Amino acid sequence: MSLLLRAIVAAEDAGVAADLGLFSVSGTRAAALASAWDTARAAGEAELLDHHRIVQAVFERVPCLPARFGSAFADEEALRLRLALREVDLAAQLVRLGHRCELAITCAWREQEALPRATIVPARSGRAYLERGLTQMRVERARERRAEAIVARLLSELAIEPAFIRHRICPRPAVAVSMSVLVTRDEIEEMSSRVERLGAQLGDVTTVMQGPWAPYTFAVSE
Amino acid sequence: MARVPLRRDVVTEQVATLDVPLVELVDRLLNRGVVLTGEVTISVAGVDLIYLGLSVVLSGVDTIRRHGADI
Repeated sequence: MSLLLRAIVAAEDAGVAADLGLFSVSGTRAAALASAWDTARAAGEAELLDHHRIVQAVFERVPCLPARFGSAFADEEALRLRLALREVDLAAQLVRLGHRCELAITCAWREQEALPRATIVPARSGRAYLERGLTQMRVERARERRAEAIVARLLSELAIEPAFIRHRICPRPAVAVSMSVLVTRDEIEEMSSRVERLGAQLGDVTTVMQGPWAPYTFAVSE
Repeated sequence: MARVPLRRDVVTEQVATLDVPLVELVDRLLNRGVVLTGEVTISVAGVDLIYLGLSVVLSGVDTIRRHGADI
């Protein structure tokens, strides 16, 4: 039977698997929680969100490191072998991250591009084509500069240790800033207030905060 | 080799365009988090998108959209 990895927990917390109908493979310091998985089964949006629900259920009960969706193992032994190779590192990450949550802060442009690029009609001449490209590039540069300014405002307002923040500017056309912050549960309310306060001051973006989630962004693979 | 084929409905317009909060979550589910397995291939409609020998890279929605458009 194949297994799909859901999360890593401390070895002493492996018992949570039984509560959630999961399988656990335990080492001396860490345990891997997984579900039975048919490798021929196709995964889509429903399976992705189901993975998130399972991870969140674990996260609500015990400190955990969320698994990236898609780590499937041929059997329990294969999972045990891979866990053994990473166990020391994973246990250290659990100590560092396990009791913290990830909040996702997204600033989306209020004004979207007038036309998706795919629907823009061909240019009438080479000059028109180049001028259009230049205009597009200037718009993108301006947006990047604005996104960097928004990041600076967020960093100042949130006042979080740099190690607990990751961000990207303009990761998608609709998004100015995608930020992940790592907080303790008792910091969530204060963080939410700060984000809401700053969001009200930023007129050109809609600011959304999601979470608390398990620390997806901060759990490293190597 | 471990293999989780990804159905095409992951690249629906609902997910891939304006539903920003959902895209943010999907990005984390596919691109971040702990990886233990050595080899994973993700495919859309049976076409492999990404293959890395010892690392695992699962495509984010943006990447899936780009490749999906060519399928």
